Amino acid sequence: MCVLCKEYGDPNVAGGIWYLNPKNHARNMYKLRLPGEGFKGAEAGLETGVRTGPTIADLLAAAEEGDYAKYTKFKQEMQARGQGSQIVPLNDADRILELCSPIGLIGCICRRDWRAIDERNEHEYTCMGMGVGMLKWERWPERYKGGVKFVNIDEAKEWNHEMDRRGFVHILMLFGAPFIGGFCQCDYPDCGALRNAVDFGVGTLKSHYIATVDYDTCNGCGICAQRCQFGALKFEVTSEKANIDMFKCYGCGLCESGCPRKAITLVRRETMPAVAEVWT
Amino acid sequence: MTLPTGFGRKFPKITIDYQKCTVPFACKQCLQICPMLVFSVTRVMAKEQRLKEMDPRVDGNYVLHAVRRDKCTVCNKCLEVCPVDALKIEVP
Repeated sequence: MCVLCKEYGDPNVAGGIWYLNPKNHARNMYKLRLPGEGFKGAEAGLETGVRTGPTIADLLAAAEEGDYAKYTKFKQEMQARGQGSQIVPLNDADRILELCSPIGLIGCICRRDWRAIDERNEHEYTCMGMGVGMLKWERWPERYKGGVKFVNIDEAKEWNHEMDRRGFVHILMLFGAPFIGGFCQCDYPDCGALRNAVDFGVGTLKSHYIATVDYDTCNGCGICAQRCQFGALKFEVTSEKANIDMFKCYGCGLCESGCPRKAITLVRRETMPAVAEVWT
Repeated sequence: MTLPTGFGRKFPKITIDYQKCTVPFACKQCLQICPMLVFSVTRVMAKEQRLKEMDPRVDGNYVLHAVRRDKCTVCNKCLEVCPVDALKIEVP
């Protein structure tokens, strides 16, 4: 079971998946920060405060020294401190968007940091903020450059499907667990969350699903191989079919939603004991 | 256990001269040419104010870091493109 489900899931609600539990989208998850309490709700995140503890720079220094024990210790500390995020496939994304309100389209902070790309209007936005925290976006215009476009559930779903068609991975972001504050549309390597997950195994958890190929239906068109961001799916030359390394699979579902023949299906991670606990 | 490329290898040392590199977000040359996305530009948190957007053309509002130097291949594209010669890369 994933660490977030253990803490915030309810076995009687939506199969125990934490983000489908309406409680975690509830208004009372959000509250003002009390002195000494640390950052919570929409006040958390990149726009406020300096994070303490080891950083990527410390990880790299330990890697340079070849100090495995130190590296592992830093990693565990980073993981414990993390606010949490998880990859979510498109079908679950639709269900999440029915639970949260309000939903606002915003510019992506990672692309701004890594490529200095400013998304300054609704046609450029590639990120989604959600929950009551979005109502105070005006406090931090530097973070929300170009403003916020509030959308209804159908618009949000349509937008999310368009992002999926373009090939973005959907990552649900927690800002002070279990407050769900954002739905990022991510791309390796310009997404910080995805990059830390793939390069260091820190931060973002894999999804609750794993992609499997039906060899009878797959005709080896190779579209899925272009969409995989994790190097988990390749075109297997010998069999002329898609081949998925299930240990590398993050369960984002991009291969599934891109397959013209519906040859790829997502199955619950729990159904495969050897990968059931592989979350990073 | 996920390890960065070449665990135990010395990564290139990238030095940024902050006297010269003052408006990295407005300039963005190295950020957009780097094939491995070594650089990252962030706003200077201490300068951020509520209800106010920061102008990327103002000196010192943004700061450049060579965060992922483990990814640097020393292709030197950033050195060629930097208009103020602020970058230096040392091969270990």
